[in-house]
Amino acid sequence: MKPAAFEYHAPTTLAEAVGLLARLEDEGCDAKILAGGQSLMPMLAMRVARPDALVDLGRVPGLAGIRLHDGHIAIGAMASKRAAELSELVRDKQPLFHAATRLVGHQQIRNRGSVGGSFAHADPASEYPAVALVLDMEMVATGPDGERVIPAAEFFVTYMTTALEPGEILTELRMPVLPARAGWAIREVSRRSGDLALAGVALTLRLDAGRCTDVRIAAFGVGATAIRLTAAEDALNGAAPSADRFARAGAIAAASLAEPMSCIHATADYRRHLVRTLLERSLADAAARAG
Amino acid sequence: MAIDIPTRTDQLPTSATRFIGKAVNRIEDPALVSGTVEFIDNLSLPGMLHCAILRSPHPHARITGIDVSAALALPGVEAVLTGEDVERWCDPCFTAPEGWGNYCLAVGKVRFVGEPVVAVAATSRYIAEDALELVQVEYDLLDPVCNPDEAMAPGAPLVFENRATNVIQSRTYTWGEVDRVFAEADRIVSRQFRWNRVGANPTETFGCICQWDLADNSLTCRGAYQTPRFMGIGRAASLRLPANKVKIISHAQGGGFGGKGGPRGTDIAALLSRKTDGRPVKYIEDRMEYLLAGGGQSWDRYYDAAIALKADGTVTGFKVRLVDDQGAGAEGYGTISAAKPLAAFTGNYRIEAAFYDLTLVATNRAPTYPYRGYGPPPHNLVLESLMDVAARELALDPAELRRRNYIGPEQFPYTVPSGNEYDSGNYAGVLDRVLELADYKSLRQSQAKARTEGRLVGIGVVSTVEPGVFDWNAYATVGVPGVGVPEGVKVGIDVFGGVTVAVGFNLQGQGQFTVAAQVVADYLGVEMNTVKVTTASTDVALPHFGQGGSRLGVAVTGAILGACEKLRGIFCRVVAHVMQTDPEQIELLNGRLQMKGAPAHGMSIAEVAGLMLSRSDLLPPGVEPCPEASFVWVSPNRNLPDDQGRCRSYLTAAAATHVVQVEIDRDTGQVAILGYYIVDDCGTRLNPASVEGQLQGGVAQGVGAALYEEYVYDAQCQPLVSTFVDYLVPSIHEVPMTVKDHLVTPSPIAPLGAKGCGEGAIHTTPAALLCAINDALAPLGLECRETPASPRRLWQLLHDKA
Repeated sequence: MKPAAFEYHAPTTLAEAVGLLARLEDEGCDAKILAGGQSLMPMLAMRVARPDALVDLGRVPGLAGIRLHDGHIAIGAMASKRAAELSELVRDKQPLFHAATRLVGHQQIRNRGSVGGSFAHADPASEYPAVALVLDMEMVATGPDGERVIPAAEFFVTYMTTALEPGEILTELRMPVLPARAGWAIREVSRRSGDLALAGVALTLRLDAGRCTDVRIAAFGVGATAIRLTAAEDALNGAAPSADRFARAGAIAAASLAEPMSCIHATADYRRHLVRTLLERSLADAAARAG
Repeated sequence: MAIDIPTRTDQLPTSATRFIGKAVNRIEDPALVSGTVEFIDNLSLPGMLHCAILRSPHPHARITGIDVSAALALPGVEAVLTGEDVERWCDPCFTAPEGWGNYCLAVGKVRFVGEPVVAVAATSRYIAEDALELVQVEYDLLDPVCNPDEAMAPGAPLVFENRATNVIQSRTYTWGEVDRVFAEADRIVSRQFRWNRVGANPTETFGCICQWDLADNSLTCRGAYQTPRFMGIGRAASLRLPANKVKIISHAQGGGFGGKGGPRGTDIAALLSRKTDGRPVKYIEDRMEYLLAGGGQSWDRYYDAAIALKADGTVTGFKVRLVDDQGAGAEGYGTISAAKPLAAFTGNYRIEAAFYDLTLVATNRAPTYPYRGYGPPPHNLVLESLMDVAARELALDPAELRRRNYIGPEQFPYTVPSGNEYDSGNYAGVLDRVLELADYKSLRQSQAKARTEGRLVGIGVVSTVEPGVFDWNAYATVGVPGVGVPEGVKVGIDVFGGVTVAVGFNLQGQGQFTVAAQVVADYLGVEMNTVKVTTASTDVALPHFGQGGSRLGVAVTGAILGACEKLRGIFCRVVAHVMQTDPEQIELLNGRLQMKGAPAHGMSIAEVAGLMLSRSDLLPPGVEPCPEASFVWVSPNRNLPDDQGRCRSYLTAAAATHVVQVEIDRDTGQVAILGYYIVDDCGTRLNPASVEGQLQGGVAQGVGAALYEEYVYDAQCQPLVSTFVDYLVPSIHEVPMTVKDHLVTPSPIAPLGAKGCGEGAIHTTPAALLCAINDALAPLGLECRETPASPRRLWQLLHDKA
């Protein structure tokens, strides 16, 4: 378990990093960006990934801030997950993102792992992509032509593939603060605490005059990307919250899923059933929080 | 002169023990927590090379060509080893039964995915792994045999072609009038069970540095060796060296649990050293190698079993048919796992007759190795599950059914039908205490309430016996020779009174250095911090075995007591000579050799040792100036087995009863452990903190086996588990911190009355959890009879029912 040989670059400014990526690309060199290394390093050690070059962002300043900006929370891509977890701003203003962060790995992993790394890695069983869809987050990419903002709905393309171009660096994640009277929930089933989910559900909703509105639901672990569960959203928007209604939404969501993947830990049927159960339970959580 | 080993702490030459029986701090820990212990991967030797191993991607294939030229041409590569070298220089490893061993590198064909095929020695592990990518191996694929059914089918492909069969051993044992008790039974309960392959996962995998001395034609191996002498003899055999030309230096190990393996890695590194004219070669097994085909796979079992009962719940008979998938041969002594249950076949119960039909089968899965418990944990799961089914059918509380069948405290020593003799026990007392500790009545009440709410809550009450202090005779039925497993120590006192205990084993985590220091300090009346425990390499160590079979705490205690008894005899002679009296007039008490009845007249241990080393003129005739003594302990009174495998094998019989309450989530299949209670009885607790640590660790591995861990293979015998992402060792989040208490029923025959307890809770936890799960499922008429009871499996059961 030793990586194949690679060039190692440690730029000290964002401009240098962007320039370096462009040059490596021109040279036909397959370069990978190293952030926290929690996924990339094992892949290198197993020689599953064998890039020609690594560009380590660890010495680039200014990419790890967490701040309130124009009514949005902006998290630097290099902020550690632990920093997001400990951020009072995140905890108070965007509790769904905060709760999702606490579900990622273990504390030791969150100490090292970057927030942006999980977005760029785009594992469909991870929590962040689903949360990004629910919150309609925006990803800021910096490339040779400057910054580009990519909405979550366009960012996650397929299994471990994003809309980032080879020369681009994910530099910031933007998310709205949770609106007043909004409820939220995230639930997952994983084999052990900290494992990737076999299936999970994240959602937000609002209660307005006893009716569900603005319901946004995404499932993870059941497809090539996180998936918006729009049929279930439609069944809930405008409806009064009730156990029956939530159960029906769960059933609709499960039925709406294309064939989820099977693995040694979970069959497709089991995953489908988990989405149904988790959604039903999450809706109850969210309604209680919104109440 | 026969040495009597004290079986009670009040026989020690001290007015009160100061260390034995106390939860003293472990002497191992300062070095462990400060990172100064020299684990093998911390060590580099001058000129050392690094080994990497190319492994078979196929479960069964003939090797038709190997081209290593490109690998050899890579700068930094010093040698490449193939089956051709190995066939010239080696023999296949010895096995029990004989003749089911592989070479350390595949010769001619591969028999499992992960089998070593080519090895490289290079100036770094990186280069060595680069070189592996340049090796070309051509294979001619053979049909694999993926499970015992396939292996035993007529015309099945042969894993070992020279054997003409894939059945390693098939035999039956009949103990007592089995046919009669089943014919006369009022009720027979039978079930099938599937225990899927699990195994040990120490924090540190295997590693070694081997150096072949070409002038002396001898081999020195440093590494994570659990049983150094045994390993040395094996290497001598496979590498065709005289045993006294193989020296094993055992380094501290980051855990073992039976899965340390080592023979293959050692032989490969040794041969690479031989091929590079004696440069030291390091091989560190990585986790993927370990999970794929290291020493970590065990117990791949298919059971068909039954118990016979009378109407009052008396269990009269127990029949077990076991088909055990050993994988590709017997190199890892997985066969012993199927023989060991004889040591406690009928558990805690007075069952008069039993029958065991055993079939050990070779397949193209990885070879199986020992794992903590070494076979009984699945066996116990079968027996205890049948007890629970019987209790349900008889409408008896499972605790009550067990109580009715326990061996009574007055019946010890008790010979079980399968031949072993239990030394002592108080099973009903253990049950009473754990039911009280758990508040069993209110657990049942809360379960009843939960059931009215439609929740699936269940309780397991499971009792097991842990055979302690193994002996070779227990494994004679699968071809292991001999009686008597030695453990030798030397106890010496220096001129300043410092005490050194030289043992043959090294640290592995259980705390035996501390036990050694406790025993010697209490015997000699010195402070624990004056005691140095050190590991002797095999060239100078006394006969020893080391950790294994819940033996070392007891065995090293016996050895130290024997050595101390010898020292006392010498010291009494010396002091008597100085005081001009008879040795019988001198006694050792609280660290002083003193005149009986006139304790003011005497000398301290340190003074006697100093005198012996510095005043030879004062020594009595025939006494050497050597305040040292050695002793090799073996279990007393062991014997050869009869034709049905019956013998006094394991010296001690510890016991435990676990009570666990679980809840199954109907919709996710997840199991939550709501409460976990343990009462155990392992006789004298030499170090209660270490016993508790062993128990808790056994619970963790039991939780893993019952709920999480499984080496999965597909229908073509390809392993689907090669990282910890898929092999699910439970973490601190999944393992409950158990509520514990204990009884002390000392062994009347073991040193200081202590019983083997190192394997502990893994004997009990899997059965307890599965029984609790099935208790939860009972109202639905469902049973889970396969491990691990994973969420997917439980959901499928519940879903199929719905």
